[in-house]
Amino acid sequence: MSSQRCVQVLNGALHDIFEQREDVYLLGEDLLDPYGGAFKVSAGLSTRWPDRVLPTPVAEAGMFGIAAGFALRGYRPIVEIMFGDFITLGYDQIVNGISKFREMFDEQATVPLVVRTPMGGRRGYGPTHSQSLEKLLMGVPGIVVVAPSECHDIAGMLSAAVDDDRPVFFIENKLMYGRPHRPPADGRVGDFAVRTGDGPWPALTFSGNGFSGGEATIVTYGGMLPIALEAATRLILEEEIFTELVVLGRLLPLDLEAVLESVGRTGALVTAEEGTLTAGIGAEIAARVQEAAWDDLRRPVRRVAAADGIVPSAPTLEDEALPSVADVMTAVSGVLVG
Amino acid sequence: MIDIVLTREDANSESAFLAEWLVEDGETVRKGRPVCLVETSKASIEIEAPADGTIVQLVRAETEVELGSTIAVIAANEAEAAEAVARRSGGAGAQPDGPANVTKRAAELAAEHGIDLSAIEKSGFVTAADVEALIRAQETGELQLDPLLAGLSRDNVTLPSRFGVDDEEGALDEGFLAELRADPDAFGARSSEEKIAAYREAGARIGDGVQLGRDTVVIAPRIVLDDGARIEDGGRVDCAEVFAMGALSRFGHSLQLSCRRAWIGSGLWAGARIVIGGGGHGDPWATLAIGDDAFLGDEVFLNVARPVLLGAETFTTMRAMLVTHNVGHSVLEGFENRFAGIVVEDRGQVGLGAVVYAGCRIGREGILASNSYLVSDVPAGMLAVGVPAKVAGPASRPLPRQRQAAVARRLLHELHELLALRGSEVEALPQGDGFSVAGAGRVLFVEALSAPDVTAGDGETVVLTLGLAGAPPDGCVVLDLLERRVHGGPSGILADSVREFCRKRGIRFAPGSWRYGGGLV
Repeated sequence: MSSQRCVQVLNGALHDIFEQREDVYLLGEDLLDPYGGAFKVSAGLSTRWPDRVLPTPVAEAGMFGIAAGFALRGYRPIVEIMFGDFITLGYDQIVNGISKFREMFDEQATVPLVVRTPMGGRRGYGPTHSQSLEKLLMGVPGIVVVAPSECHDIAGMLSAAVDDDRPVFFIENKLMYGRPHRPPADGRVGDFAVRTGDGPWPALTFSGNGFSGGEATIVTYGGMLPIALEAATRLILEEEIFTELVVLGRLLPLDLEAVLESVGRTGALVTAEEGTLTAGIGAEIAARVQEAAWDDLRRPVRRVAAADGIVPSAPTLEDEALPSVADVMTAVSGVLVG
Repeated sequence: MIDIVLTREDANSESAFLAEWLVEDGETVRKGRPVCLVETSKASIEIEAPADGTIVQLVRAETEVELGSTIAVIAANEAEAAEAVARRSGGAGAQPDGPANVTKRAAELAAEHGIDLSAIEKSGFVTAADVEALIRAQETGELQLDPLLAGLSRDNVTLPSRFGVDDEEGALDEGFLAELRADPDAFGARSSEEKIAAYREAGARIGDGVQLGRDTVVIAPRIVLDDGARIEDGGRVDCAEVFAMGALSRFGHSLQLSCRRAWIGSGLWAGARIVIGGGGHGDPWATLAIGDDAFLGDEVFLNVARPVLLGAETFTTMRAMLVTHNVGHSVLEGFENRFAGIVVEDRGQVGLGAVVYAGCRIGREGILASNSYLVSDVPAGMLAVGVPAKVAGPASRPLPRQRQAAVARRLLHELHELLALRGSEVEALPQGDGFSVAGAGRVLFVEALSAPDVTAGDGETVVLTLGLAGAPPDGCVVLDLLERRVHGGPSGILADSVREFCRKRGIRFAPGSWRYGGGLV
């Protein structure tokens, strides 16, 4: 098992990318050493490549616009948005520009930029620094949304995002930064066997009993992995209820092959996300799985998500608003037979 | 000793990453020297030594540390450093007991069946199904033909020296045995001397001073009764293979003992109306073994369908019941039906009216409290109480030397009172701890005794001590209360009375082949 924390893996990956590609630039707030970005993901880059790390004012719309210009001119810009909540300030650039240029100009132009940004709560940062807004990106055709978990090949995923000719939004999770990176070793993470899907941003499927006899599938991504995995573990240890856990690596374009395979074995599905419930990622997954695998499902799909409201600052209220281990366990109980 | 506590460095973090120690563990540091590097989400911070001293690190480098926890201490001297090191080894770094990947049902099932979970070789979770598979494999495994012990461990059980000896010692003439079986009542009606003479003639090995009470009969193909063994009136012993009883062992009246084989050590004191046998007493595994100097209270019931092993110096007190099997509905309907032996390790105790269920084991010096019902094991040295019995705490507590001396003096005082109430003329000695008993001698307590401290006087001189250095004083009987050994002599009525007084308080002296023949207490 790697003893590195995820933030160190990301930081190392950025250093490798900067070393390998001279066309990569980093734009964002407070990037320069010794500060190295709010979460230290960019530490050391400005010292080694002072010309390619470009600190910006607190003006996200401008950052997106400049990055789009870099990308249209053939560079590979990476934008660091300090908190994912502020992608909304660049939303016009994303919706009416970055995502559309390629089709509007009939493939004659590409926008190969990467937007790295942390999402998620559980740190008491309050309503405007704790959200999970991936679903706002899900409704934008023409971009790619990638979300590594602590069990993914984080460095490989970031490197593939930079290499891709499409605009890639790379969603990091604030709690994930400090957690140990634990990719599968010999096809296992702890007591679970793990299957890794295809492509640069694969889905991971976890099973505690050899991919047979699971009673439900839980699908989640990113920072919800440890919560869903703990729920799956407790269901096994306390009740001997086995589930399969699918951890998506790419949210858009949405590829549910691993989920459908797993549901074929288990016959039930629970979605778990940290964003708010309504029009969330779970809603999209539920709709697609019910279309594609109606005959496999014993029960309606259940969704676990944050309450439709703000993410409060007070820890107890924040815990109540965000999806918990118990919420996932309860949802699984709700889709079991009998 | 000064703790180095990780304090909050910014508003964002509940924990921080201890990236690096800048000093060696155990290094001497001056106040203000940076000792480690801590990273939060916002910054890297050097933590400085808060005082001069030796640093003892409590947390390894490259670990996430919660705010408010102590990461190291500055020890002012060696004693503080040792204390801090002890904190480290016993502290937060310790791994929780037991594997974390065993389901609750699997753990319960394993405990119920006494399964060692480490026998399950599997990566990933261990479930009830895995434990069941192991139970099946064990149940249908190789035949274990072990009638003597049925697989029980003899660890911490000192069995009588004759246990398991398969020789011809005491083998009875077959004709005599057949007669005995045909009409035991007629044989039992004869006098003790006549019965013993007849047994000897038929081949039984009977020592000196053995007594068999009125109507008492022993039936077994092999019979060994060592010197001074005694079974009071109305006893009936019927063993299919062997009955052996050690020197000075004694059963009270109305004994009923039936099993395949019984080996009883020396110095047993067993009360009246004891029943040994019950259902399954003819089973191949019906073994009874009782170690030296054990105690069985009145009306004890031992069911010996499977082996019952009672170690040396065990107490099985009045109306206790040890049952090695139960009766009930079909196992295939899910009712329990168990056959398993019972072990009480050396110096273990079963309280008044307590019940010990099949398969249970009481560890060395463990105690099952009165009226408890035992369905699991009592760990060594622990007290278990209740229905079902649960461990309540240690069975004894260590006494400091000072307290032992105080307890010994209290015993001496009690003995003084007892002898006075029994009608002896007792007078406290003018100096030292002790008293004289008119016409008998003196009893003294000397905490640490060496020969010149005491000289023999008129009558017996009995000295209680917590430690004898060298040889005992001439003409004195020394009872070493901690070593539990008798030194010197000769013993007379006073020494025997003191010894009996101590025996009733749990202090039994070696050499053990001794029986109180009556005296002053």
